[in-house]
Amino acid sequence: MASVNIKNIFKKYGDVEVVHGINLTIDDGSFVVFLGPSGCGKSTLLRMIAGLESVTAGDVEIAGKRVNNVHPKDRNIAMVFQNYALYAHMTVKDNMSFSLHLAKRPKAEIEEKVGWAAKILNLEPYLARYPRELSGGQRQRVAMGRAIVRDPAVFLFDEPLSNLDAKLRVQMRTEIKDLHERLKTTTVYVTHDQIEAMTMADKIVILRDGIIEQVGTPLDVYDHPVNLFVASFIGSPSMNLIKGVVAKDHVLTEGGVKLPLPKTHGGKIGQKVVYGIRPEHMSLGKGIPATISVTEPTGPEIHVYADVGPQEVCAIIRDRLVLKRGSTVELAPDLSKVHLFDEATGKVIA
Amino acid sequence: MELSKPWQFVRDSFAVFVTSLFMFPMFWWALTSLKPISAIFDKDKVVWFDFTPTLINYAVTLLGRSRSQLAIDEGLGMGVAGTEAYDSRSSMLDSIVVSIGATTITMLVAILAAYALSRMQFRGRDAFLNWVLGQRFMPPIAIIFPLVITFKLAGLRDTDNYYLGWLSLMLIYSLMNLPIAVLLLKSFFDDVPKDVDEAAMIDGATRFQSFSKIVLPMVRGGIAAAAVLCFVFSWTEFLLSLFLTTDIRTVPVKIQTFVTSTGNEWGFITALGTAAVIPGFIFILLVQRHLVRGLTLGSLKE
Repeated sequence: MASVNIKNIFKKYGDVEVVHGINLTIDDGSFVVFLGPSGCGKSTLLRMIAGLESVTAGDVEIAGKRVNNVHPKDRNIAMVFQNYALYAHMTVKDNMSFSLHLAKRPKAEIEEKVGWAAKILNLEPYLARYPRELSGGQRQRVAMGRAIVRDPAVFLFDEPLSNLDAKLRVQMRTEIKDLHERLKTTTVYVTHDQIEAMTMADKIVILRDGIIEQVGTPLDVYDHPVNLFVASFIGSPSMNLIKGVVAKDHVLTEGGVKLPLPKTHGGKIGQKVVYGIRPEHMSLGKGIPATISVTEPTGPEIHVYADVGPQEVCAIIRDRLVLKRGSTVELAPDLSKVHLFDEATGKVIA
Repeated sequence: MELSKPWQFVRDSFAVFVTSLFMFPMFWWALTSLKPISAIFDKDKVVWFDFTPTLINYAVTLLGRSRSQLAIDEGLGMGVAGTEAYDSRSSMLDSIVVSIGATTITMLVAILAAYALSRMQFRGRDAFLNWVLGQRFMPPIAIIFPLVITFKLAGLRDTDNYYLGWLSLMLIYSLMNLPIAVLLLKSFFDDVPKDVDEAAMIDGATRFQSFSKIVLPMVRGGIAAAAVLCFVFSWTEFLLSLFLTTDIRTVPVKIQTFVTSTGNEWGFITALGTAAVIPGFIFILLVQRHLVRGLTLGSLKE
């Protein structure tokens, strides 16, 4: 087990800089998720920790030791790849024991470790099979088994669930989380799926275009996004974001609609802002006049899409109401959950 | 799509017909090798099956029976070449040694080269690849004189030392085979995802270990295919062998000597030709179990 320190890391491919100076500390035993849209540099960052990409500038430290020039095999890490990267010509057992054989561990130990991993991952009946004879979920587990038998200091996961179907993904998500709870090995997990990030992480690192946008616990980044990008990226349906100008106790939108503000807020009168409110923090009641366009019942709740002036917003209600298209309602925002962002900088107004 | 019964019959008949068409020359060749001289040289009709089969042609070419004795036994007055001229045993040996040797050298070099071209970054890599392929476009006859002189100057002529003749043929065949083998193998190496190398590296393998234990077994099929190609090329090559060697006569060169000033010895030509198919056939049998598709199947998500 070990902590990972990333100090002012840069990565360039030729003249193109893709990671622009990232600082991050990953605590010993924690589960950290790198989250961001594709091309944000999250995989590159992970591969730099693994040693599969060189570091253009800055330092990577594992367990307090600078590893910039250390070969991946000597970093005491294990990695699970997006496409599993199994050794197709070897059985499940040989796949899992390959690293132990290379390390010349005694036979009894190899048997024991592989047996232990197979038991944890429910792979015992498949040890003699080849990867081609396994289903996607089983291959996924073999890839994980290959990682855990080594008892590494750090686990690295590169979008390991993105090739599984939805049901299996939920199941494997729980299994990975459970595995982490049991082994308590420092884990770095890359994904573009915010649900995975929210459900699994101790700490989420949100990346965009090679820089960190926000670091925090899942609920922290959900409840207190520091800028417009994080606000819109986290949450589904995403946060309603409406442009307007701050007045005394409300924000006046371009369409002339008044959006109520809490008593204390950081906005200055006349400031151009973006008004943010999550769908579940809007209910039917007195407040913002809106015209219903679409309702989507999901079962536990109903997603109501309505037009506020020219802008569409979403509200989530739990009451079994029948709302007709074109009818007008009033939406009441929970004033304690209103976010204000500066329109020019995109940063939250405290 | 399921064909109706009559169409199935048409399709199957056509398949049989095409296959027979391709197989016929081989069949006729093998049939002729079993005919006595009188059946081969019947000037009145084409002899199909009404002859007494004989292994005499094989006995002469492969066991060293005397041609002149044979002529006397058959009561023929044809002109007869030297007694040893049709003994092809040493030619078979020459061909086997040279083909296996050339294939081995080619594969050793090509596997390493293809791996490097597929996995490593170095200056001029792509230009090198084109240059490699360019080598194959030159007809050997265009460079035959420089080659003969080069080999002579390098002391690789079999008139100096018989075994050097083997070596010289192995070298020149490897040279001819390398471009195609490298290109073929590179595409097989390219098919093995780089993630697999990286996984092996993280598992603690050195570059050489990930090459030998992981990547190499996954391109087994490609190696087998390339080896077959190299072997067949070396086995059937005529021109270079004719020019570069004197004492050594590989099978194609040997067969050509059966076309003599006193007539074509069809019996011996067909016997040696038929026999020459066998080593190649054995070689392909040995490697064909590796010639299976989908060796990387299961390595990746689908």
